[in-house]
Amino acid sequence: MAYSCYMEIRKFRDDKIKQASHDHIKLNQLHDEIMKKVIHLALSQTAEKLGPLPCPFSFFVMGSAGRLEQSIWSDQDHGIIYQDDRVETKVYFLELGKEISKGLFQAGYSYCDGGVMASNPLWCKSLYEWHHQLMKWIFEFSWESVRYLLIFIDARTLLGDEGFVDTLKNQIYQTANKDQLVKKMLNNTKYLKNGINVFGKLVTETHGPYAGLLNIKEIGILPYVNAVRLIAIKENLLTTPTLERLDTLSELHFSDIDIDFFKDQFIRLLNFRLIYCNQTNYDSGHYLPVAHLSREQSKELKDMIKNGSALFHSVRKLIEKEDSHANE
Amino acid sequence: MDTLFLMNSLWVMLGAVLVILMIGGFILLETGSTRMKNAGHVAGKTILTFGIGSIVFWAVGYGLIFGKGNSLIGFSDFFYSGYEIDGLALSGSVFFLFQLAFAGISLTIALGGFAERAKLGAYLVFALLFSVIVYPPIAHWIWGGGWLAEHGKQDFAGSTVVHLTGAMAALAATIILKPRIGKYNKDGSANNLAGHNQVFTALSVLLLWVGWFGFNAGSTLSVDKAFFGFVAINTNLAAAAGTVAAMIISWMVLGKADVPMMLNGALAGLVAITASCAFVETWAAVVIGFIAGILVFYSIRFFEKRKIDDPIAALSVHGTAGVWGTLSTGFFATKDLATVGQPGLFYGGGLHQLGVQAMGVLVCGAFAFIVSFILLKIMKTAMNGLRVTEEEEIIGLDMSEHGSYGYPELLKSEQRLNA
Repeated sequence: MAYSCYMEIRKFRDDKIKQASHDHIKLNQLHDEIMKKVIHLALSQTAEKLGPLPCPFSFFVMGSAGRLEQSIWSDQDHGIIYQDDRVETKVYFLELGKEISKGLFQAGYSYCDGGVMASNPLWCKSLYEWHHQLMKWIFEFSWESVRYLLIFIDARTLLGDEGFVDTLKNQIYQTANKDQLVKKMLNNTKYLKNGINVFGKLVTETHGPYAGLLNIKEIGILPYVNAVRLIAIKENLLTTPTLERLDTLSELHFSDIDIDFFKDQFIRLLNFRLIYCNQTNYDSGHYLPVAHLSREQSKELKDMIKNGSALFHSVRKLIEKEDSHANE
Repeated sequence: MDTLFLMNSLWVMLGAVLVILMIGGFILLETGSTRMKNAGHVAGKTILTFGIGSIVFWAVGYGLIFGKGNSLIGFSDFFYSGYEIDGLALSGSVFFLFQLAFAGISLTIALGGFAERAKLGAYLVFALLFSVIVYPPIAHWIWGGGWLAEHGKQDFAGSTVVHLTGAMAALAATIILKPRIGKYNKDGSANNLAGHNQVFTALSVLLLWVGWFGFNAGSTLSVDKAFFGFVAINTNLAAAAGTVAAMIISWMVLGKADVPMMLNGALAGLVAITASCAFVETWAAVVIGFIAGILVFYSIRFFEKRKIDDPIAALSVHGTAGVWGTLSTGFFATKDLATVGQPGLFYGGGLHQLGVQAMGVLVCGAFAFIVSFILLKIMKTAMNGLRVTEEEEIIGLDMSEHGSYGYPELLKSEQRLNA
C-alpha cells in the first residue's frame, strides 16, 4: 500500500508494533518494513520536487538498525551512496537524505544526536567521494575517524545496490595497516561500564529518573556487539547482525570460544531488554528494573553480563596477542 | 611573664586562626557543592553568620558555656572583655577567641542544611538562636564542667559538641525545609543536582584538613611536652584513611571512584578523629578514619533514599561521622592517654566508657535536634515560611536575596540566550 504522508506510516507502526514487541526477529523485520515505507514515500516526494532519480544509489542503515538489533524505540543512523559524481546529483541525494530523515522522525525514529544521518553531507556521498572519505579516515587514524569507521562497518543496505556498501567495506579490509587499525578500533571500544560490583551485586544508576535500574545497553549488550564486531573486522566479514557474525565465525573454528554458547547468551539478553524494560521511550527502553527480577532471572542476567565481559576480554587478548606477534 | 604561659597563648592563638580559616574551607565546600546561581549567596552568608555568631558568643555564648552556674548551664561572664581567666595556663583572650571559633564552626555546619532554598532572614534568625539556645548548653555539659563532664565524657575537640550538634540542627532544617526543587522525581527517585565546582570542593577539603590541626592539636590548649604533635599525627592519619576508604568503597559498590565521595571521606575521617585524637594510638586513628570513610558512603545514600535533601552532606560528614568518632573512644581510648574518663573496651576498660559516650551522643544529639526543630517550626510560623518562593529558588538566591550574581557575566549571558 502506498502512503501519502509519514503520519500514516506512524499509524501503521503504532498498529503493528505491539504484536511484534515480544519477538526480536519479527520486531526487526517490522522496523525494516516501516523504514522502507518511509524511504519509498520520501523518494516520491523528492521526485515531485526535483524530478526522477538521477542515478543508481543505495540507502543503508547503521547502528542497531544496521545490526538488526533494534528495540521498540530506536534512533536514526543512516547514509546514502550514489553512483555519479556530479553537482546536481549531490544536491538531489542530500535533499532525499533530508526528506528521509524528516520522514523517519515523523514515523517515530528520533534524530541521531551525533548527526549520523543521510541529511548530513558527511554520510551522503558519491561512491567516489566515499572511497576518498574512507581513505582519509583510515589515514587520519584519529579517535574520531576510527569511530566513524566502526560505525560504517555496521552498515546494512536497506534499499538499492548492495554492492556499494560491500565494496566500501572491502576497501577498509584491504588497507595495508589493517592490524594496526583493528588494534586502534579495540582501543576505541575498550571501555566497559561496570555492571557487577566487588560484592557480586548488579550496579544500577544512582541518580535520575532511572535510579535503581540497570543500563542494559551499555552494560549487557555493547560488550557482545563490540567484541563480535572486532572479530568480524579481523575476519573481513560483510554481514552485520551480531548473531550472523557469530555464525560465520563458528565456521572459522575459534578454538577457545564456544560460539553457540555466546549466541544463546546474546539472544537471551536482547529478549531480556525487550520483555523487562519499560518500552515507553528510547531512553527508558535501555534501563532494566532489576528489582523486579526473580532470584533466578537476576542470576541469569549476571551470567550474561559476565560472559559478555569474558567474550570481550578474550577478543581483546586475541587482538593484542596478534599485534605483539606482528611487532616481533 | 612565664614562658610557658606565653607559648601556650601563642600556640592556641595559632589554633584559633587556623580554625577561623576553616570557615574559608566551608565557604569553598558549600559553594563547590551547590549550583552556580547560589554561589554568591552561599559564600557571602557564611561570613555574615560567622559575624552574628561572634557577637552572640561574646555577649552571651561564652558566659552560658564557661560561666559559673550549675551542671546544666553557665551563667556569668557575659560580654567578656579580655580579662585573664582563673586556672588557665594561657591568655584569657586567646582562650576566648579559640572557643569563639569553635562555636562559629558548629553554626556554619548547622546552616549547611539550609543550602539553596532558605531565605536569608532564616539564616540570620537561626544563627542567633542556635548560638544562644542550642550550642551553649551542649558545650557547657561537656567542656564547661557540666553534667556530662562529671561522667567523664570524652570529646577532645568536639565530635559531639561541635559536629554532631551542628549536624542535628542541619537535620532539623533539611526536614522542615524539604528537598530542593528538582531533587526528587515523582516516582521518588533522586536526581543528582551536581555541585558546580569540584575543584572548590577539593580545595575546601585541603583547607579544612590543615585547619583541623588548629581544631584538634590546638585543643591541647598547651605546648606542654609538645603533645600537640601527636594529636596532629592522629588527625592526619584519620583524614588519610577516610579518604582512601571512601574511594575504595565507592569503587567497590558503584564501580566508579567517585570524587565528591572521596572528599567526604576525608572530612568524615577528620570529624571522627576529633573526639578521640588525644586518647587513642596512631593505628587506632587509622582504623577510626577508615571506618568513618565507609560509614559516610552508606550514610549519604541512606539520607538520600529517605528524601532528606542534604546538598553538602553535612548530616553524614558531621552527624554520622561525629557519632562514630564519639563512640570510637569507648573502644580505643588507652589507659595512658585517657586523661578524661576511662580506657575503652579494647584496653581493659570494659563497656563503661562506651556507655558514657553513647549516652552523650544520644542526649546531645536529641537535644540539638529537638530544640532546633522547635525553634525552626516557630520561626516558620513567625516568618511566614523559611523557604524562598519557587520562582526565587529557580532564578537562584544570588539574585532573589542579594540582587547580584556570584558569576554575573556567565549567568546574565545565559539569561539573554534564554530570552
